Amino acid sequence: MGLMAASKAFFKLLFNKELSVSFQQLVDGKLQPRIESTPKKAAPKPEPKPNRSDAISLLSALQREARFVDIISEPLGDYSDAQVGAAARDVLRDSGKVIERMFALKPLTEVEDGASIETPSNFDPAEYRLTGNVSGDGPFSGNVAHHGWKATKCDVPQWSGNKKTEMIVAPVEVEIS
Amino acid sequence: MASKYVIGIDLGTTNSVLAYSELGEELDIKLLKIPQLVAENTIEARDSLPSFSYLGTSAEMENGTLDLPWAVEREFAIGAFARSRGADFPDRTVGAAKSWLCHNKVDRRAAILPWNAPPEISKISPVTAAQQYLEHLVSAWESEFPDAPIREQQVVLTVPASFDPVARELTREAALAAGIPSDFVLLEEPQSAIYAWLAQQGEQWRKKLKVGESVLICDIGGGTTDLTLISVDEEDGELVLRRVAVGDHLLVGGDNMDLATAHSVSQKFAEKGTTLNPWQSVSLWHSCRAAKETLLASAGPDTHSISVLGRGSKLIGGTISVEVDKNEIASSLLDGFFPACGINDRPQRQPASGFQEIGLPYESDPGITRHIAAFVNAHCAGESGEVKLPNHVLFNGGVFKATEFQDRLLQVMSDWNPNDGSCMRLDGTHDLDFSVARGACNYGWSKATGGIRIRGGVAKSYYVGIETAGLAIPGAPRPLKALCVVPFGMEEGTQTDIPSGEIGLVVGQPVSFRFFESNTRKDDAPGFVLDQWTEEELGETDPLQATLTLENSDETFVPVKFESRITELGVFELWCVGVNAQGQWKLEFNVRDE
Repeated sequence: MGLMAASKAFFKLLFNKELSVSFQQLVDGKLQPRIESTPKKAAPKPEPKPNRSDAISLLSALQREARFVDIISEPLGDYSDAQVGAAARDVLRDSGKVIERMFALKPLTEVEDGASIETPSNFDPAEYRLTGNVSGDGPFSGNVAHHGWKATKCDVPQWSGNKKTEMIVAPVEVEIS
Repeated sequence: MASKYVIGIDLGTTNSVLAYSELGEELDIKLLKIPQLVAENTIEARDSLPSFSYLGTSAEMENGTLDLPWAVEREFAIGAFARSRGADFPDRTVGAAKSWLCHNKVDRRAAILPWNAPPEISKISPVTAAQQYLEHLVSAWESEFPDAPIREQQVVLTVPASFDPVARELTREAALAAGIPSDFVLLEEPQSAIYAWLAQQGEQWRKKLKVGESVLICDIGGGTTDLTLISVDEEDGELVLRRVAVGDHLLVGGDNMDLATAHSVSQKFAEKGTTLNPWQSVSLWHSCRAAKETLLASAGPDTHSISVLGRGSKLIGGTISVEVDKNEIASSLLDGFFPACGINDRPQRQPASGFQEIGLPYESDPGITRHIAAFVNAHCAGESGEVKLPNHVLFNGGVFKATEFQDRLLQVMSDWNPNDGSCMRLDGTHDLDFSVARGACNYGWSKATGGIRIRGGVAKSYYVGIETAGLAIPGAPRPLKALCVVPFGMEEGTQTDIPSGEIGLVVGQPVSFRFFESNTRKDDAPGFVLDQWTEEELGETDPLQATLTLENSDETFVPVKFESRITELGVFELWCVGVNAQGQWKLEFNVRDE
């Protein structure tokens, strides 16, 4: 066993009980080595299974690129408005970049806030939310109070880690001195 | 097999981009989304691939941390994650591999990068690094278009105009190793920027450029500056574009500017009692780029606040900000990199110290305007020898998002010849980040469909060094002459016999010729011999070498003459042809250091 392979085996054993038992048996001569054909660099793996929620991946990206989780986890009462503002400026700018890149948000209607709009007669309530004096089946006309938002794409990063780390949003950062 | 797509690849010093279009009636250029690691185990598809290579640890390999959809047990990462690791692990991160490709003081096939990394890191060669970036792009393409393998497509790959034949050959070697088809075309980046402009203009360009006019292309990337001059001529009643000159390879770019700003801003933090750690320095560098773009945009604000966020999870308490005002940035960047200068000013060469570390040969004078003055002075002569300013300037590269740089450059140039009207920015919208890849795509499409092409041929003249026969004087080298083997402007797809005396070459032993190039000697014909020259006139690159073999013959030496060829794909080849038809041998560049 080469030095590389030996140290690899050591680390595998360290984290794998079952394997370490059979390795001991192998060393004791109770178990014949099983010959497995391990195709080296054969056909590339099929698509990595995104076995964690996109929500965690999004959170992780916002933290990585914009420190979003840090800022919302801090008690704001400890700081002055100026301090919060200084930190928030960068976090907001960088969060915006992440959201823009992944979702490319657009207003749902091109009609500007305050201008008048007419809804189609059979609209989906998910598309228009009416407030005020609503009666009958429409079409309705009124003023836009909010133009709404729509994601034009949804490109959250793919993740290829393992079960043990799937809920990790940000790793521990350790500076080695 | 007929190609379905034309693919343009910009293999940049700091970012690589792939643009493509279907080879149909209409040119429709799109950018390939390139999946890449952006963090451990995390893959995101982006428009550009940062040209960085991170050499991983064995733990990362074992855990599949660096795996990609098309590769498992990866030991390295390319792209955004590699770039961000550069801050934490400079010893494991390869950057600017492309600048190393044209650095002829080192062996570019040897594993030398990361430069100065400790011995336990298994290094890679500049050629391997370029190959890895291209392989990544090829894999990204093939996972997006599994039915259109890249070897069946038409590929155009861009190189800096100032790349010498050796750097082009090494780029080609990396490309072929990465699986790019052998009939791919090398295109010069500034020309590519013009092709992008042409694609965006459509037929309108004929109204915007007039016969007799010229365009200076000023391409400032992250790490390099590239200059090219194009003239507008008429041929058979048709407008044609001709590439007239290219500048030297200048290692100064946007990154230098951001580092300069970061350096002065970090002094401000120091005044507040904060010393920045490496991680914060990198984040400061990015903030400074944003500050540059904001403050130096036309009608930008007068001040901009730059913050450095606290390193730990206590973010708000640890955040410190400083105000930077426009005048400060403008004076350090505009006067540092685009200083006002006269047409006769020249880049200042620092006297070399006795001991110089090899490293990359960064420009000793970052004043880009002085480099442009030298270029314009050398190449833009009017009828009676006076300097005739280029009529238009095409800006390319992310640096010019700070539009004040464009204004400053145009102002400085217009002052060089106040009677000559002024240099104008070339009309139209410019995509400063992606135009090189887009232009390469348009070039490939034009080549296939018969659209406009820029003429030009070779932008330099090339020479081989011949030691003169004669009595040897002990201790003194034999006098060297330079024989012109490629004239300026030699066209692609042509070959030329070099008239010269017969040159006797020994069979079975490596023969080597010193090799020179010139930007300025435009009138030397093939076979012209120079007895002496200045260092400004002729620059030396890597030597050419071959070992002659003869089958069924016991000749010990063969008389030969030279024949040079520029292939359809723009590759330079020099052959020794036996005068008595004994055979022909191709000379190869020897990139090993002596």
